[in-house]
Amino acid sequence: MASTPHAHHVTPIPVLLRTFFLLLGLMLLTIFAAQAPYWFPGMFGWMIPYWPLTNAIALAIAIAKAVLVISIFMGVKYTTNLVKLYAIGGFVWFLLLYVMLVDYVSRPWEPVRGWEAVPSSGLPRSKESDGGVPYPQFPAPKGKDGHEAGSH
Amino acid sequence: MATHAHTADPDAPAVYEQFEDIDQQQETYILGMWSFLVTEIMFFGALFLIYSIYRWQYQGDFYIFHKELDYVLGGINTTVLLASSFSVALAVHYAQLKKKRQQLLALGFTLLCAFGFLIIKAIEYGKKFEHSKFPNDTFVWDAAKYGGDPEHARLFFSLYFSMTGLHGLHVLIGILVIGYLMYLIAKDHPVITDYVPTELVGLYWHFVDLVWIFLYPLFYLIPK
Repeated sequence: MASTPHAHHVTPIPVLLRTFFLLLGLMLLTIFAAQAPYWFPGMFGWMIPYWPLTNAIALAIAIAKAVLVISIFMGVKYTTNLVKLYAIGGFVWFLLLYVMLVDYVSRPWEPVRGWEAVPSSGLPRSKESDGGVPYPQFPAPKGKDGHEAGSH
Repeated sequence: MATHAHTADPDAPAVYEQFEDIDQQQETYILGMWSFLVTEIMFFGALFLIYSIYRWQYQGDFYIFHKELDYVLGGINTTVLLASSFSVALAVHYAQLKKKRQQLLALGFTLLCAFGFLIIKAIEYGKKFEHSKFPNDTFVWDAAKYGGDPEHARLFFSLYFSMTGLHGLHVLIGILVIGYLMYLIAKDHPVITDYVPTELVGLYWHFVDLVWIFLYPLFYLIPK
């Protein structure tokens, strides 16, 4: 037990304050990164077609903010290795959950009768004519004056 | 800095017989809270996965729908939650130094921020209800005017209400827990022997902040 750091590390107020202002700065940065192509179309307008890039920037900033909150505010940086293992393990589990997306990616690769993919998406839908069960449809939404709103 | 039970510190909390020393006992409490937070990650994780799948399928539509949300109000709420997270961290800091008055003030500020967050959220929800954007049988999406598939719009607002609603429920529970903690601290209740209760409540509150850090860009800042 001698090598274990003490659970009650007192985080100094300047460190907490710096973390808080860093988090606020990152929040302003994420708003700017998302809105800059519309605010300054001359300078950043080229970003609009590259939505995966904009998305990656937003998520990278969110992950940076999360790391700050977890390590400093939640004090994981100063705790024992066992607590670190639990904290990291929880988020590793969260990433493993995304392995499920493999199913959505790979379904259109191998067409199966009744599982034809909707064009331009990986979403499979079955056709009644092929003996498949159609996807459930929502009832057409009604407008305020009783007319049907929208069509599809 | 260490407050071992076998040292002369009269304020040191009792070490129960199953623990080697006070450090191990406190580590166990914190580990227990983290186990709970891991289940919370699983709870919210499933919703984030659902969101990811549909966002990936209907990215273009989601961009159209997200314009219904006000990113300025969302940004104010992010600031409010970050400030509350900071003040909870301060409360833990003062709890460790046994400064009761400052600790209560910090927790009180956190409560204030939590109420502020819920009030702003209520204003946002009110606008959605007014514009028939709650995904029940009154839901309306004017596809002719704004574009996008009305069924996908219903899906987007279902995700919006379920994810921010579940988060809001956590804020509400946080208010009750922080309020009760403040009551116990103010009354010098015997369960408050050291900083650990404040630390555990703090961990929960930081987790609530953490969820919002991801919800904000995913709902309010969707690129075209």
